[in-house]
Amino acid sequence: MAGKAGATPTTYTPSPKTQRKKPPIFKNDDVDWVRPDGRGFHQCRPAFFRTGAVNAAAGSAYAEFGNTKVIVSVFGPRESKKAMMYSDIGRLNCNVSYTTFATPIRGQGSDNKEFSSMLHKALEGAIMLETFPKTTVDVFALVLESGGSDLPVVISCASVALADAGIMMYDLVASVSVSCLGKNIVIDPVLEEESYQDGSLMITCMPSRYEVTQLTITGEWSTPKINEGMQLCLDACSKLANIMRSCLKEAASASDE
Amino acid sequence: MVSQLQAQDGVEGIGYPNSSGDLSSEMEVDAFRRLFPLRFFERHLSESIRPDGRPLGRARDTTLALGAVASANGSALVKIGLTTMLAAIKMEVMTPLKESPDEGCIAVEFHMPPICSPLVRPGRPAEVAPVVSKQFSGMIDLKDLSLVSGKAAWMAYLDIYCLDADGSLFDAALLSAVAAFSHLQIPVVSMNDEGRVIVVSEENDGGGDAVNKEKRKLRLCRTPISLTCILHKNYILADPTAEEESIMETLVTVVLDSSDQLVSLYKPGGPALAHTSSVQDCIALTRQRVKEVQTIFDETISGMEVD
Repeated sequence: MAGKAGATPTTYTPSPKTQRKKPPIFKNDDVDWVRPDGRGFHQCRPAFFRTGAVNAAAGSAYAEFGNTKVIVSVFGPRESKKAMMYSDIGRLNCNVSYTTFATPIRGQGSDNKEFSSMLHKALEGAIMLETFPKTTVDVFALVLESGGSDLPVVISCASVALADAGIMMYDLVASVSVSCLGKNIVIDPVLEEESYQDGSLMITCMPSRYEVTQLTITGEWSTPKINEGMQLCLDACSKLANIMRSCLKEAASASDE
Repeated sequence: MVSQLQAQDGVEGIGYPNSSGDLSSEMEVDAFRRLFPLRFFERHLSESIRPDGRPLGRARDTTLALGAVASANGSALVKIGLTTMLAAIKMEVMTPLKESPDEGCIAVEFHMPPICSPLVRPGRPAEVAPVVSKQFSGMIDLKDLSLVSGKAAWMAYLDIYCLDADGSLFDAALLSAVAAFSHLQIPVVSMNDEGRVIVVSEENDGGGDAVNKEKRKLRLCRTPISLTCILHKNYILADPTAEEESIMETLVTVVLDSSDQLVSLYKPGGPALAHTSSVQDCIALTRQRVKEVQTIFDETISGMEVD
């Protein structure tokens, strides 16, 4: 046994607290509670987008919301894999992966296996697939650093990257999530808040068309809370889409000169 | 330069439309580049210049940014031309091996995620990735990673991600690794009552004395810096782009340390055979490159200290 244990040493990340304490950040009736980064409950982190992050791709974008940093590359439209059947409309292929150092504990990012299919479903409805028949558009995302609300950031960033690649869409897709912590709803939660949340709600929508492409609700919610959360998200989405649009406009006017 | 290209002397090449001289003179430069890449490049090389305007022996502009990843103990973002590498180091505590009780361990992994190149698809790792991973070794004295002899040592996970692949991947990967190690801040830790190592932070001071008050930085025994060159006929092209690598396939990678000693030399086959003289030329180019990179390093670090 001693010989075997030597082959692969077991490691652990030394953390400041030996035992994880229950959230000191929140008590049930405590409305005066301050968020870890000092934001108001209904205040989003500043959003930053930049197109053309990866030159090898047809289109790409980098997004940074606080500590959440993602890169999305779009390839294609290009030949579908040989094994695929003939298709009148184009295919969308999505993949989300994490760097090993994205999460506080190494390699934890691979837990989010469902993100690839959720990204696919969020974008599918917005893309005019009939404009590239028989071919595939690949959307690949890499989370460089996970700071909370990863999937909404990936989705918004992917739609900017698709626009950068010149893929036809009905509208930009913006995504925002809220967390329910006791009696409060906080928008654009950071990692710490997400780990203590009672429930989460994420909306992905096309703000100009006022259409929702994806809505996920998990955990404990009451109907009025859901309404409140949805209103918050929809409002934030339309503001986020303006930021995304201005980033694209800037990039377009810079390339004109 | 560009207009000269169209006045090609089309002698060799079956089916090359220039034999009559009409088509190629009208051919767009871009189309010519795609259809006859090798001729396109050779035409440039004979004028001692490359399509991106560089002389043959010059590397692309290089930039360094330290501390790009907040969730890691040390990190660096390196750009050589368009090739972009992000390296980050995470430190974890392990029980050292029985055979080497006062040595730590370093695990290096080179990743090519599908975002970096149209050739990489998810689930199918790129061919070059393991090749690059393998070339890192002996950079650090593993004894420096020891905490408590026989009980605890550091395991350093170095992960290098290629964010944009445009040739000379190994050079960029190595530079980002070296830069990440130079940025590395080892957390101060102490042993608690149960014999586990915990991080000492300002508010949490009850775990006994710090084990590693002085050893917050890792010393590199040597700073390896590399340069990849393409050998093509009697030309030597330093720091090739992905396009150049795909057309002319003979690569030589030379790694030198800061005192100009040869660390490794790597020529993975290829159609052209290297003469001793051309290998020496590659080493001379690398020597120049080492100086260049050191200035970039010094500038970056002094720029960081000002902030």
